Amino acid sequence: MAVFPFSTYATEALVLGLVTGPVCLASCGPVVLPWMLVQPHGFRTHARQLAIFLASRLLGYLLFASAIWFAGAALSRSWSGRTWMFGVIQVLLAAGLLVYAVGWPHAHCSLAGGRPKLVQITNADAESTRPRPSGAAALGFLTGINLCPPFLVAGLRASQLPTLSAALLFFSVFFVGTAVWFVPFLSLGVVRRTPSFLTVARMVAVLLACWYGYSGASILIERAVYG
Amino acid sequence: MASSVLTRPPAFRSVGRSLLLTLPISLWSLLMFTPSFMHSGRDSHIGAAVVIVFMTTLFYEMMRTGKTYRWRRWFFVALGFLFPVGFIAALIALRGTMSIPIERMVSGDTPFCYMVIPMLVVPAALTRAVVFPGSILPTANNPHSIAVMIGIWLGMTLVVGKAWCSYICFFGGIEEGFAGIAKRAKIRRLDSRLRLVPWAILIFVVVLSAALFEPVYCMWLCPFKAVTEYPAVHSVETAIQMSIFITLFAGLVVALPFLTKKRTQCAYFCPFGAFQSLFNKINLFEIRFDREKCVDCTLCQTACPTQALSAESIREGRTLMNCMKCGACVDSCKKDAAVWHLKGTKVALKPERARLLFLYGAWAMATMFGGSILANSLATMLHWLPWK
Repeated sequence: MAVFPFSTYATEALVLGLVTGPVCLASCGPVVLPWMLVQPHGFRTHARQLAIFLASRLLGYLLFASAIWFAGAALSRSWSGRTWMFGVIQVLLAAGLLVYAVGWPHAHCSLAGGRPKLVQITNADAESTRPRPSGAAALGFLTGINLCPPFLVAGLRASQLPTLSAALLFFSVFFVGTAVWFVPFLSLGVVRRTPSFLTVARMVAVLLACWYGYSGASILIERAVYG
Repeated sequence: MASSVLTRPPAFRSVGRSLLLTLPISLWSLLMFTPSFMHSGRDSHIGAAVVIVFMTTLFYEMMRTGKTYRWRRWFFVALGFLFPVGFIAALIALRGTMSIPIERMVSGDTPFCYMVIPMLVVPAALTRAVVFPGSILPTANNPHSIAVMIGIWLGMTLVVGKAWCSYICFFGGIEEGFAGIAKRAKIRRLDSRLRLVPWAILIFVVVLSAALFEPVYCMWLCPFKAVTEYPAVHSVETAIQMSIFITLFAGLVVALPFLTKKRTQCAYFCPFGAFQSLFNKINLFEIRFDREKCVDCTLCQTACPTQALSAESIREGRTLMNCMKCGACVDSCKKDAAVWHLKGTKVALKPERARLLFLYGAWAMATMFGGSILANSLATMLHWLPWK
């Protein structure tokens, strides 16, 4: 049985996570920021939402670590497979942001339920009674399997490890390193929510959804046309 | 006696007193354009002389009539329409085209525009790199470097705050010109929540610029690319970008200002304007409302070109955060309830003194920055005269 010098790999993964954290932050920021902005006011609410987001992101990391370990480095190195996956993830992120921006699944069962929330001045108190853990989980998972550059570097390294458990541990520690960079998002919890604030947050989510939608669709169309 | 003159906004000042108050601006203008007279050719001399007379005359009229918006507008519209003339001429002379070839971007020759400033902050904090294909320090090909433009912006912002948007910005004058064409607005009711859109676009471009490591606003959303410079169209993506620029310019800068008589791009789109609003918090000057005189006639609200007034804000005696201190509300108020105000002093105590202090700073900045642009553009036009 091969000896597994875990401390060596753990240190490497932690350093990799900490060093590439700003890039992770920049990659995931466009998703996390509008999501956190539309959450109700309060540090604890934001801490809970961020925890769900990060836990789902960790799940995405571990699933990817498993897949990459079984498939070797092929998945990480395959340009074609990567771009397809990237395109699909971006379209899904766009859909997720759009759904939560317009509040469609959470609209009250009234005749006004179909009206987009973007154009409504919402009630901050009413918002606070509507926790949305599923949204944080979905977005966290999608960003977890989003193939950003630091993630690919970690994936390549994990594929070279001798056992699946080593790959999973490597990604877990890498996740901890990158997660440190998300702590500043908690400060958004102390910003007092006003109707204008929520309207702006929803507009941001719609704009980012448009961007991800365009970006994902153009990748998929390009792959479909040019192969 | 002097004190009583300064406490009430006079309808007319005497010619002598107005000339006296204009003297500092005249001297400042001469100082600003002295290098043009010493080193440049005849076209530049004429351009500089015209601008000195133009800026001094407008300031004199502001002093004589007590009106601000009416006279500032002449300068601002001239700046808006002449800036593209000089800029495009310079591009054609340098490159032979308005488009930016990729090799120019790589060599850092893209002139830096202040619109990029909000997009620089997050990527610079995270990676210590600048998301703009320009040079930090001035070069022979590109005197408008990042450091120079940020320095100019910071200095002027500290002096005028959000008034940057009505005294310095060389884009706002174009739509102010189109807004002034029609006698009456064809579209009169605009949803007040539209004024939140610039904040959303600001957050959007800041976050996405950090993610993509490129100035997203310049690459995708700037309406003024249509009349300045744009990435060379060589792919479907650049064609989409170009069509976005043209659509936004035609809609927000030409059509909607004409139909609404508002500065729609500034009020409902510009992320830099939203960013500048933050500096209104630290700027010394503001517009306030004397509630004892105000009769809630809403003339000021109608006159405001950027929806920076709401019924609620007027009741509170204030403008909204996005007020760009153009003076339209003060000029339109028949009861003298809208007044210039120096923070820390009692409202409506000495409004004309506050106006004078503000105008000296703002007009000096306008002469230095906008005036030099006007002079260069005039010199370029003279150089191109067909009979020369």
